[in-house]
Amino acid sequence: MKMKKCVLCCVVLVFTLSLLFPAISVAANKYVFAWIPKALNNPVFELGRSGALQKAKELTEQTEDTVEVLYVASVNSDAAEQVRVIEDVISKGVDGIGVSCNDPTALKDVIDKAIEAGIPVMTWDSDSPESKRFTYLGVSNYEGGKAAADLLIKAMGTSGEVAILTGVPGAFNLEERIRGFKDGIQDYPDIKVVTTVACDDDINKGVQVVEEVMQANPDLNGWFFVGLWPLFAERGSMPLWEAAAKAGTLKTIAFDTLPVELELLKDGYLSGLVGQKYWGWGYDTIQMLYDYIVNNKRYESWTDSGMDIVTIKNVDAMIEAWETQDFTKPLPPAF
Amino acid sequence: MPTPKTESDAETTTSPQPGIGSKLLNNQLTTIILILFLMIILLGSFTRTFLTANNIFNVLRAFSWIAIASFGQSMVIIGGGIDLSSGSTMAFAGIMTAMMLSYGLGVLVSILIGLGFGVFIGFINGILVSQAKLPPFIATLGMLSILRGFCYGLTSGWPIRDLPRGFLFLGQTDLAFYIWKVPLPALIMVFFVIISYIYLSKTKGGYHIYAVGGNEYAASLAGIDAKRVKYVIYSLSGLFAAVGGILMTSRLGVAAPTAAQGYELDIIAAAVIGGISLNGGEGNVWGALVGAAIMQILRNALVLVGFPAYWQSSAIGAVIISAVMIDQYRKRRI
Repeated sequence: MKMKKCVLCCVVLVFTLSLLFPAISVAANKYVFAWIPKALNNPVFELGRSGALQKAKELTEQTEDTVEVLYVASVNSDAAEQVRVIEDVISKGVDGIGVSCNDPTALKDVIDKAIEAGIPVMTWDSDSPESKRFTYLGVSNYEGGKAAADLLIKAMGTSGEVAILTGVPGAFNLEERIRGFKDGIQDYPDIKVVTTVACDDDINKGVQVVEEVMQANPDLNGWFFVGLWPLFAERGSMPLWEAAAKAGTLKTIAFDTLPVELELLKDGYLSGLVGQKYWGWGYDTIQMLYDYIVNNKRYESWTDSGMDIVTIKNVDAMIEAWETQDFTKPLPPAF
Repeated sequence: MPTPKTESDAETTTSPQPGIGSKLLNNQLTTIILILFLMIILLGSFTRTFLTANNIFNVLRAFSWIAIASFGQSMVIIGGGIDLSSGSTMAFAGIMTAMMLSYGLGVLVSILIGLGFGVFIGFINGILVSQAKLPPFIATLGMLSILRGFCYGLTSGWPIRDLPRGFLFLGQTDLAFYIWKVPLPALIMVFFVIISYIYLSKTKGGYHIYAVGGNEYAASLAGIDAKRVKYVIYSLSGLFAAVGGILMTSRLGVAAPTAAQGYELDIIAAAVIGGISLNGGEGNVWGALVGAAIMQILRNALVLVGFPAYWQSSAIGAVIISAVMIDQYRKRRI
C-alpha cells in the first residue's frame, strides 16, 4: 500500500515536472514588447499598431519564439500621462519598450528607469536623445521639409509666392519641417514666402485660414501644408483653394500620405506628398527590439526610417498599399 | 452685415428686459456694437479684401456655429451656471450624426439623433448640477472629458468622412439674396438668435432663468422651480451646441474626434464679451452674437493683414480683455 502510494507520488511528480519544464522553456522564449504611441487619438498610430501586430505575428510564425505586443498610451498627447503609462509598463514587466515621446526631456528619466530595470527601450517617430534609449527610429523632419521644398520647386518652378500652413506654432517636428522647407527654397530668391498661418491642428480652423490667405493673396502660386489638417474636410469646403488648384495656377505640397490626400493628389489638387512610414513605426520597431534582445544586434543612435515621396507617378502604388494594408513593398520612384 | 445689428439694437431698446436694468443692458450692447463697427471700419480701410461680400459671408459662416452654441451657453450663464462641455458636445453630436449617416440612416433621422444626444447630454449636466448638487464647473468639466473620450473611443481616432451630399447641403449651401449669396449656417444662426431672444425676454420661462441666475434663493421663494429651470438651460445648451456641431460637420464634410477642441472657451468668451455677466442674471443673446462676431473678425483680420501666426493668440487675448474692460469702464460710469 505504502509502496503503491510512493509510486503514485513519483508518477505525479514526474508528470508535473514534465508539464512544468516545457512551460518554463516557452516562457523564456516569449517576448512581450510594449509599443507606446504619443496618444490614442491620432489615427496614424493605429496604422503603426497594425504594423506592430503584423510583425509580432510574423515573428511568432517564423521563429520558435512567441512575440506579443502590448499597445498602451494616454488618450491625449500628454507627457506626464505618458510617463505614468511607462511606469505602469515597467512594474508590469515587459521585455522591451518602443515609445514615441511626447516630450524629449520629460520622458528621459522614465526611459532611464526602464533601462535600469533591465528593459531595453528604443524611441520611434519622436525621440528623447538625452536618454539611454538604444536607438531612435524616425525621419529627419528637417529633411522632410527640404524634400517638400524640392517637390514644390519641381511643380511650381523657381519663382512664385508661397504660403505655409502649420498646426500648433512651436511644435518641434512642425518647426523642423518649416526650417527644412525654408532652407530648401533659399537658393531661389524669386520664391517668396508671403505668409505663415497656424490652425492649432484643427480642421475647421485650417479650412478657414487657407481660404482667408487665398482671399488676401489671390495670386498665390504655392502652398506648403506642414500637416494635412484642412485636407480632411470634404471637397467644396475650400472653394478658392480648390478653384486655384484646379486651374493649375496653384501648386500644393503636403505632409503625410493618408488616403484622403492620395485621392486629392490623383485628382490634381495636390502636386506632391511627403510622408512618414507609419506602418513601419510598428513593424520595424518590433523587429528591432527582437533583434536587439534575441540576436544581440546593436544600432546607431539614429536609424533612418526613410520617407515616402508620393507624386502622380507613384500614387497608385501607395493607394494599393493602403487598400491591401501591405506596406512592405517599396514605392516606385516619384519622378 | 452691419444692418441686422442695428435693427437688433433697436429691437432691444424698444423692448425692455423684465426685472433687470434695461438701460444698463442696452448701453452695454451699444458699447460692443461700437467696438465691432470700429473694427469693421478699420479693417475695411486697411485691407482691400475685408469688406468684400465673399469675405464677409466667409466670416459669418465661420462664427455661426460658435455663435449658436454661445446662445445656449448664454442661457446657462444667465441662469447662474456655466457649461464647459459645449465644445465636446459639438464634436460628439457631429460624430453621432455622421455615424448614423454612415449606417445608412436618412439625413433628417441622423440629424435628429445627433440633436437628441445633445439634449440628453445637457439633461445629464442638469441632473448633475441640480440633483447631485455638483458645482457646474466640475460637472460640465467632467462631461467635457467623458464626451471627448467617447469621440475617440467610437471612432478609434479616425475622422468619419464620405458623408452624403444631402447632409453637406446644410453647411455648404449659399442662398441667393439679391446679389449676395448668404451661407445657410449664417441664416440658421440668425434664426436661433431670434428665437433665443424671444424665449429669454418674452416668455415666463425666460424670465425664470434671469430670476434663478440673479438670486436662486429669492426665486425659489417666489415659487420658481429652480431645478426645472436648470434642466431646461443645460438641455438647451446641449441642444444648441449639437446644432453648432452638426452644422460644422456638414460644412467640413468630416466628423473628427478632435473637432471643436477648446471651443468652449471661445463660446464662453463670446458670451462674456457680449456683456453676459458670469455672475448670472444679466445679459442678452444679441451680445453673444456680437461677441462671437468680434472674435471671428479678429481672427480673420489677423490673417488678412498677415499678422505673424506665432503672435496671434496674444493679440486675440488682448482684444478679449480690452473689449470687456471698455465695457466695464462704461458700466461704472453709468
